[in-house]
Amino acid sequence: MLDSVPIGVFHAGEVSAVDLQDLILSLSRFWSDQGCIIQQPYDLEVGAGTMHPETFLRVLGPEPYNVAFVQPSRRPADARFGENPFRLGKHLQMQVILKPSPHEVQDLYLKSLTAMGIDPSTHDVRFEEDNWESPTLGAWGVGWQVLLDGMEITQFTYFQQAGGIDLQPIAAELTYGLERIAMFLQREDSIYDITWGGGVDYGKVRHRDEVELSRYAFHVADVEMLRRHFGDWEREAARCLEQEEPLVIPGLEAALKMSHLFNLMDARGAVAVTERVALIGRVRKLAVRCARAYVEQRERLGFPLLARQGGQA
Amino acid sequence: MNHQFLLALLCEEIPANALPSARRQLEEGFAKRLEEAGFSGCIVRAYSTVRRLVVHVQGLPAGQPDRTEEITGPPARAAFTPDGSPTAAAVGFARGQGVSVDELRIVKGPKGDMVAVTRLVQGRTAPEILAEITAEVVGSLHFPKTMRWGSGEHTFVRPLHNLLALFGAETMETVVPLELLGLTSRGSTAGHRVVAPGRIEMRGITGFADYAARLEAAGVVVDHEVRRARLLARAEELAAEVGCTVRPDPALLDELVELVEHPGLVRGKIASRFLELPEEVLVTTLRHHQKSLVLEKNGRVAGYFLAVADRPDDPQGHVARGCSWVAGARLADASFFYAQDRKDSLASRVPALAGVTFHRNWGSYLDKTGKVRHLAGQLARSAELDVDLAHLDRAAELAKADLVTAMVGEFAELQGVMGGIYALADNEPEDVWMAIADQYRPAGLEGPVPRTLTGALLGVADRLDTLAALYASEKPSGSKDPFALRRAALAVVKICAEFPLPVDLVRACRDAAANRAAAGGDAIEEFVQDRLRHYLTSVVGVRPDVADAVLAAHWGVVPDDVARARALEAVRQDEVFDALAIAFKRVRNILTKGAPGTLDESLLTVPAERELLSAVATAEARVGESLGEADHEAALHALAALAAPLDRFFTDVMVLCEDPALRQARLGLLARIERLFLRLADVSRLAAEAR
Repeated sequence: MLDSVPIGVFHAGEVSAVDLQDLILSLSRFWSDQGCIIQQPYDLEVGAGTMHPETFLRVLGPEPYNVAFVQPSRRPADARFGENPFRLGKHLQMQVILKPSPHEVQDLYLKSLTAMGIDPSTHDVRFEEDNWESPTLGAWGVGWQVLLDGMEITQFTYFQQAGGIDLQPIAAELTYGLERIAMFLQREDSIYDITWGGGVDYGKVRHRDEVELSRYAFHVADVEMLRRHFGDWEREAARCLEQEEPLVIPGLEAALKMSHLFNLMDARGAVAVTERVALIGRVRKLAVRCARAYVEQRERLGFPLLARQGGQA
Repeated sequence: MNHQFLLALLCEEIPANALPSARRQLEEGFAKRLEEAGFSGCIVRAYSTVRRLVVHVQGLPAGQPDRTEEITGPPARAAFTPDGSPTAAAVGFARGQGVSVDELRIVKGPKGDMVAVTRLVQGRTAPEILAEITAEVVGSLHFPKTMRWGSGEHTFVRPLHNLLALFGAETMETVVPLELLGLTSRGSTAGHRVVAPGRIEMRGITGFADYAARLEAAGVVVDHEVRRARLLARAEELAAEVGCTVRPDPALLDELVELVEHPGLVRGKIASRFLELPEEVLVTTLRHHQKSLVLEKNGRVAGYFLAVADRPDDPQGHVARGCSWVAGARLADASFFYAQDRKDSLASRVPALAGVTFHRNWGSYLDKTGKVRHLAGQLARSAELDVDLAHLDRAAELAKADLVTAMVGEFAELQGVMGGIYALADNEPEDVWMAIADQYRPAGLEGPVPRTLTGALLGVADRLDTLAALYASEKPSGSKDPFALRRAALAVVKICAEFPLPVDLVRACRDAAANRAAAGGDAIEEFVQDRLRHYLTSVVGVRPDVADAVLAAHWGVVPDDVARARALEAVRQDEVFDALAIAFKRVRNILTKGAPGTLDESLLTVPAERELLSAVATAEARVGESLGEADHEAALHALAALAAPLDRFFTDVMVLCEDPALRQARLGLLARIERLFLRLADVSRLAAEAR
């Protein structure tokens, strides 16, 4: 346990009790024990775990669902050529969806801290208001950022709406910022100095791709190509949704590609302020159509997951 | 009347900005509805923590008193036969009321004798009524944002976890039966989430103090005022330990009070290399990201800060170490931005403002920079102010350049401040960097105005330009004012009044509108005049009719407008101003009926008009002299001397007479009086007041 070890004895490169992969493994084990499906990262570029269909679609409709997964999340505009010790163009989120949100969800969350090696009884854990909104997904929620000894370690949201649809039941979404937490637990001053696992640090695993992704996003990406593909995928998404039986997942995937293309154009400085709202609106329109099509599809299928309502979490 | 009620909602963490208003609504809602239920004179107090909303009511009776009620039935002649025996109607009525026929009485009604019965109605108990009131008051609480959870059936500020509702006299033993947001009331609650999460029995508490004491033992300080006092005391203690004092920050303290159940504080350390950062950057980083109080030594920021913690202690030092580490990370980020920004001069960033939109219809901040430079120069020249025009122009040129710095990108609230810091570092003259630093002052009605004339002119020009560009399309309405135009106009007024800055705002509004080639210059003047009226009534403290009288005469040079309003407010209690108001109203009415001609004094021969003529000449001389000495009160008294001659004039003289030449001369005299008055105020607007 970290708490039995005096802080300050860790040095860069030294294998600590809580390396990044320990964190992932213990959180996965914990939420698995709570009855969650342990999903895998979505195999597309996304800006946040919220865009994973396991979140965006599963929170819709009446069916209960509990799931956890790690999602590498790309924010090209946050990339810093591997020079800034706190910012990454691609970071790891651990996302947990509990639907419906259990009455004791905050207590469960505190137990997950214990599973990570943080004993809440010796720390300050506070839930400070921080509401979440995604104009791209037509989604918003109410909740907090969780502060551990002053450090923001988790975004905790009760989803109220997704794809423009009012949700019922309500899902709780917990998003752990994994690099942040590892930095904090290891008391490192740079993301690149945290230990990933097996004695290898984060910088050795990821620094080079941060440098390259930054160069690509800020200097190299072909704006005309991005813009063209934005339109291509928009048409493709519409085609998927116009099928006699709408193709929900391919439609959503096309919309997610548009979202990433938008983020790249934005990082490249190619999105005029006036154009911004319109481009986001085009993605949202498709996300909203996907959400509706998904709910209709589940209804046609008779909401198969309703049968196992009252899962263990 | 010795009964009391305690209601406590235990929720998940409630946003800090919702709590003060929730307490107010609870106090007002309970007081109002208790009064309506006939429970007058109760004392209602609301308390809160980040997880609790609490109401305590004292001075309640056990219930409503029993009362008798008379219920009338059928007419007497339909209920009883002439020989006095009951009919079916009487029997039916008695049965319906649950009494025997013997208990029926005859009463006189408006339509003759009626059968009636007197019944005893039992008063309802206080818990019954309190249950109803609670459901109503809690159900109608208004929060900035509400949410649903779980099955999604209920809506509230945050999910509810416990509902404590107790009633009693010396000890509160009765659980008031309640259903709220899916929970049933009980006689216990839970303590602090981490320090003492177990259940706490509350039945049998003797009052609020006992309730608070039991919570305190479980790590919760439920009275927000107590938390504030303890936070302050603890802050001073922690500061004194390291030989420092706490830099006062009442707004932040207000917020910290609402963020916790227990008012804990830890002292964090700032690495010495960060103390070289500009103080504003240091303080903003700590305040913005960490909600931390700053410590100072000899007036300078010291190497410590205080962070709030929702717990009484820090057993293993984790909290202080964690907060210091996070502060270090944030300050490293800020240092990184500062170093990045310092690689280029502020002046070299100006062209990049072409890429920052000011408004979709009005171009970029580079366009705005050009407009403000021009307008600022115009303002300074037309008011013939002793300002270095080259400095003013340079300040206006650089004013918005910090919008494209990394630091302002991160901390928007440092705009202006950073510009000042970078301009100073670039060796711009003091007059220039200070003006840049002060351009957003004052933030509202509170707060200081710019320190220098250059800064005052820049601030006024920038805001008038914003008004000129945006007023037509972004007019504020009700609570909507997305571009903060009201605040901008009020800041213009405040700077002019308090710097003081003798520019003519009417002319300045026209210049600003012309500069933007914007329509609606008149509307902007009216908008600024409205803010000036607000400033006169709320800050200067004159009555609305005084402000109207002053502004109706003429306005624009705000220091003069303020001086005239102060003077009129001071003298208006004098009775003579009532007479003067009436007389001047007559002057203005008559002047609307005939066009005044040139004043040929030789035509005026009636004693009353000769007298008025000479009184006007005297008054003109005295007003001129008094205004020369900026003695507006004396000038108003000089006007007051015209009250009596005017009164006689209107009694003895027919102004609108047949002879056109004479009529013109008399109207001319009145026009001269009107001009004289309007140098000070349109006193006809003073409200006749019952003394």
